[in-house]
Amino acid sequence: MTLSADRVSYSYAGPPKGGHYDGLNRAGHDASSEFALRDVSVTIAPRSLTGLLGPNGCGKTTLLKLMSGVLKPELGSVRLGQRELRGLSARAIAQQIAVVPQETHPAFDFTVLEMVLMGRHPHLGAFQLEGPDDLAIARESLAATGTAQLAHRSYTTLSGGEKQRVVIASALAQKPTVLLLDEPTASLDLGYQLEIASLLKELNRERRVTMVLATHDLNLAASLCDTLVLLREGQVLMQGPTREVLTSATVKQLYGVIADVSFHERAGHITVIPVQRP
Amino acid sequence: MAAGTKRLIAAALVLVACGAGLVSPAGADLTRSAPRLQSEKARIVSLVPALTEMFYAIGAGPQVVGVGSFDQFPPEVATLPRLGALLDPDTERILTLRPTLVGIYGSQTDLQAQLARAGIRAYVYRHGGIETIYRTMRELGTATAREPQAERLVRDLQARIATIRTRVRDRTKPKVLLVISRQPGTLREIYVSGGVGFLHEMLEIAGGRNVFADVARESAQPSQETILARAPDIVVEVHAEGMFKTSSVQNEKAVWAPLSSLPAVRNNRVHVLLGQHLVVPGPRFAGGAEALARTIHPAAFNR
Amino acid sequence: MSPPSRLAASARQALAVDALERPARKPIRTRLAVTIAGFGALAVAAIALAPLVGSTHISLSRAFDRSIPFADNVDAQIFFVARLPRVLSGALVGAALAAAGVVFQALLRNPLATPFTLGVSAGASLGAMLVLIFGVSLSVGPFSTVPLASFAGAAVAAGIVYRLATPYRRAMSTAVLLLAGVTLNSFFSALIMFAQYFADFAQAYRASRWLMGDLDVGSYQPIIAAVPLVAIAFAVFAMLPSALNVLSLGPEAAATRGVDVVRAQRLAFFSASLATSAAVSLAGPIGFIGIVVPHLVRLLVGVDHRIVLPASALFGAAFLVACDLGARTLLAPVELPVGVLTAMIGGPFFLWLLVRKG
Repeated sequence: MTLSADRVSYSYAGPPKGGHYDGLNRAGHDASSEFALRDVSVTIAPRSLTGLLGPNGCGKTTLLKLMSGVLKPELGSVRLGQRELRGLSARAIAQQIAVVPQETHPAFDFTVLEMVLMGRHPHLGAFQLEGPDDLAIARESLAATGTAQLAHRSYTTLSGGEKQRVVIASALAQKPTVLLLDEPTASLDLGYQLEIASLLKELNRERRVTMVLATHDLNLAASLCDTLVLLREGQVLMQGPTREVLTSATVKQLYGVIADVSFHERAGHITVIPVQRP
Repeated sequence: MAAGTKRLIAAALVLVACGAGLVSPAGADLTRSAPRLQSEKARIVSLVPALTEMFYAIGAGPQVVGVGSFDQFPPEVATLPRLGALLDPDTERILTLRPTLVGIYGSQTDLQAQLARAGIRAYVYRHGGIETIYRTMRELGTATAREPQAERLVRDLQARIATIRTRVRDRTKPKVLLVISRQPGTLREIYVSGGVGFLHEMLEIAGGRNVFADVARESAQPSQETILARAPDIVVEVHAEGMFKTSSVQNEKAVWAPLSSLPAVRNNRVHVLLGQHLVVPGPRFAGGAEALARTIHPAAFNR
Repeated sequence: MSPPSRLAASARQALAVDALERPARKPIRTRLAVTIAGFGALAVAAIALAPLVGSTHISLSRAFDRSIPFADNVDAQIFFVARLPRVLSGALVGAALAAAGVVFQALLRNPLATPFTLGVSAGASLGAMLVLIFGVSLSVGPFSTVPLASFAGAAVAAGIVYRLATPYRRAMSTAVLLLAGVTLNSFFSALIMFAQYFADFAQAYRASRWLMGDLDVGSYQPIIAAVPLVAIAFAVFAMLPSALNVLSLGPEAAATRGVDVVRAQRLAFFSASLATSAAVSLAGPIGFIGIVVPHLVRLLVGVDHRIVLPASALFGAAFLVACDLGARTLLAPVELPVGVLTAMIGGPFFLWLLVRKG
């Protein structure tokens, strides 16, 4: 199903006292500074691996949260297929869309298996306990992320890379059609970054899960994503296939940095190398 | 410096010296070491209800210029300034009244020190049994130069107590549970008199046998189980005047009904007595003892 | 690794998981059943045995002898009027406080939270204090003065904290909840001290005594009054455990796993506050149950709230009944206030926990 954001705007400050917005204008205030996202329209093709790219504060995390239904847009709508997310319960959304946040800090000492089984929560009834099917799905998600041998370890004792893989396994256990990831490799070192990146690519290919990745890592986006959405100051600069969208010109527009953007033979994908500050 | 000023300073120094001579830092019982005050020029402050009643009873009432927050008797104290009590004595106001004698609690050591610095005599109240009450009266008599009146008061009280003893002498002593506190409306957090203190002694004088006489403290909090086990023949509750403001004595008596195996409940010998003479270890305690005696041995008081 | 070898690795791992699954943990159904049976037996044993023991020796055969009229049967009265209500209220309060502790810990995402962290107990204490100090007496049906006033105080405190911590259209912020609760605690404690300052000795002493906790209810009325409240709280508790698991990952992580975060937080706050208010109104604030019991239970059964919540309720009942038994027999005929005993156990337990973690 196609996940799309249609002219969405969001402000962390909430609506004015009157209760609703009059277009994008708030009397007496500079409208542009209030909104994290303004009039953004993005369409995510099914089974694509899309990157939301931009400098810090550009609104990519906000857009991701709008797409997951955690935040509700002030204006515009987010749809999954034909249905607006706003009209769906958290449970209904979670059965289709799963999110991998940048960091996960459980307040209690859950085991890896318990963490992954929590991904089954949207599919279980109020008083239902997980059954053998759910356990099978959990085990399979662990296997897919290479964390099966950690099943009975305590989550808090894992390394950064292992933790992220477990969280991805937990998201996979939701059996989503769309997987949203917020800076999945930001807090990891190089080896783990590559590991996660190749895992994501493999999952997208083999499980045909649509993926949307918010990142500020240009090379990660370039290596992983087939589609990119460039965001700056709450608005879409450009969106489309990676090759078309990621150019020296757009990098300069986005980051104010002169970079060499070219296809790297050995790596097998586009790379972005900053060469000079303007 | 002008001559006049020097004289003033000298006079002040002399006064300070006199003041220092008047007060010893230990200060507990100053009646013997201090010079007598002329009774009519005395200005008395009392923070302790028992002491206040005693001052009036020995005739030093006109000299009382300030009392504590919880003093209720005699009625004259209603118009006097209130100066706080155990936790919150209003030192400034006390000093402003220029007292010559202040009755305070033993734990009020800070206040005692301040009074000492100001050269004011303090009488430190000691809580104890009936003998302590007599001794306190005598000491106050000495402190206010009213020894004859104090002695008379003590003898009157002793006579009344002797009369009560005589009346109940040959009667069997029933087991009595003497309750001094509980939560209103329910039988929780019951406090009783132990085998020590003026309430216990009053009970004995009144011809009762304290079921908790074996407890070597003034008060104890027994569980319901313990009360049931000790099976008192009579239950007497003694409380201050306004204890059960919004309920009735009948209701409060009825609270004991669930403990139906108590002989006191079975034989309808549960009594709730209210009054300051029952709870203040002062000159009216004999009235309290009488009230207890009448409750425990009503037949002994019918002519 | 190239794709084919990755797949092979995945397959190997799937087998590895299978092998690991069997000797390690049993499925949750089994664990839940075993835990409830075990802790349930413990609770039942405690409730059944505790009334048999006390500071006074009684003859059980006499106590249960129907031929003796109840009003004459001291042993029966000791058993049925003094001990049994005490044990039952201990079980009720222990279960309520332990379960409320688990729920508050999940809600605040902090294993060090207690049922008293958010000011509910301070409100209850203030209500009780005011009534004890001003000597008011106003019973309504089975609810007597002090429990009624303390419940009202608790409700006010919970209401204030809830209003402060629930911003427009967003989920409760745990930081604000905590801050509001701690502030309210301080404020109410100050008011309590202020009120005590103006009380006379007897009132102040009664008030202080209430703060130490007391299970000696002496009749079934206060228990009957508290049971419906605790029952409602537990009915809501039953709906929460799997949501609590997910909620402890954080509100956003919970939302993306299908939890209606706002609703779950409200239900958790309401039910845990209700259970705490009922318990404190019945027996005064008895500390440490709400934190020692959940921790001990987690050490034994893991952290899954679906098991921890019912196990803590059952263990809490047994634990408090046992503490009260100790309180009334250790130094017989003198009784220790039960709150003092739970503190004497709880304090060292915490030091041990800290030393172990550190």
